[in-house]
Amino acid sequence: MTHEEYEAIAALDAIGAASADEQNALRAHLESCDQCRKAQREFEEAATLLARSLEPVPPPADVRHRVMAAAGVGETTLREHYRFAVRPWWLATAATLFLALWGWRELGIRVAREKIVSQDAEIRRLSEENARLNDRTRKLSSGISSLTSSDTRTISLAGQRISPEASAKVFLETSQRRAVVFFYNLPANPGDKSYQLWIIRADQPKPQSAGVFDVPRGGNATISIENLPVATEIKALAVTLEPRGGVAQPTNTNFYLMGKS
Amino acid sequence: MNMSVEAPSLLPAVARGDVAAFEELYDRHSGILYALLLRILSSGEDAQEVLQETFAKAWSSASKFDASRGSEVAWLISIARSRGIDRLRSRKVRLDRENDAGREISIRSSFVERTTGADRAIVSQQQTAVRGALGDLPDAQRIALELAYFEGLSQSEIAQRLGEPLGTIKTRMQLGMKKLRERLRAFR
Repeated sequence: MTHEEYEAIAALDAIGAASADEQNALRAHLESCDQCRKAQREFEEAATLLARSLEPVPPPADVRHRVMAAAGVGETTLREHYRFAVRPWWLATAATLFLALWGWRELGIRVAREKIVSQDAEIRRLSEENARLNDRTRKLSSGISSLTSSDTRTISLAGQRISPEASAKVFLETSQRRAVVFFYNLPANPGDKSYQLWIIRADQPKPQSAGVFDVPRGGNATISIENLPVATEIKALAVTLEPRGGVAQPTNTNFYLMGKS
Repeated sequence: MNMSVEAPSLLPAVARGDVAAFEELYDRHSGILYALLLRILSSGEDAQEVLQETFAKAWSSASKFDASRGSEVAWLISIARSRGIDRLRSRKVRLDRENDAGREISIRSSFVERTTGADRAIVSQQQTAVRGALGDLPDAQRIALELAYFEGLSQSEIAQRLGEPLGTIKTRMQLGMKKLRERLRAFR
């Protein structure tokens, strides 16, 4: 086949009119023929004259938007891209402003979080203080009740050989099985020791602890006692100095105070 | 006639993702591409859809454009025509099936027949422009080219449509293309 024959096929191929066999023959020839390849390109360009001779028809306005959307380029994005591309200082200004606002916001959040933590701690502290005061109020009410109740019994404890100046007064509210004890002129206990009040019961051979207490330098102290044995079972009361926090049974017989019921 | 052969190509910029260039590309060529697709499809709705596809293809494949092989508008026209003909053929298949079922469907006629259709006003307007641009071509050659280019008909289909021997049709088309090639050279 001659070059002219291939060019004739190229002319048909440019308008899609070449047969499949003609197309195959042409493709094979073009791989090694610059002359015919050039002719083919010219025919392809010439074929477009058929289209370019048409009177242009503007598409409907909304097609532009759809075209941009179909291409993955929204018109809004397009406009923004163009604006920022033309004036990059906008981007820098916006970025700086954004970072400033972001930093301010982060700082505000951090301060707010610290304030919340502080307020939570204060709430916990006040709750504990409130519980402590409520307990104290309850004990004071209990003590007042023990002091003023019609069935209150009084037991006096006297200082013994080791503390002859000391004394104590027990106000025992028998119906409620509770008592308030006032201690006077006891020596201040060492830091590693506690005073411990013992109940010597009529029904038991061993003494029962009624509680531990500290005595400051002035020598006076007060304790409240709950869940006492019934009055008829309290034979006597005594005070010893024991290891810090108290013990199950007295470790010595050096009584500081003692009194019979 | 609208010619933009000499205009600097925007496709290299589009290939770099320059959306402003893409916008300009649309403004520059959408009119001629839409006219082409209207000519092929005779349907505004179809033409708009294929126009969208054409520019989507241009956006995604701009890097494949080779200026040494042809002009920017020729590249876009080739995409639009190819997709337009594909749409036309798929529509013909559908219409043929409906016809087989006995439904009364108006199948697309030849260019010569359509020029007399009263419902083809917009297409006729474009056909007038085509005749003006290709006025130096004998009608027999022009019609054969248009049947191939705008309707995607094969040589044998054109011969059958026009009632001419296949060899005659092939010669007419080859002569017509040679003249168009000469005309193209005159534009450069």
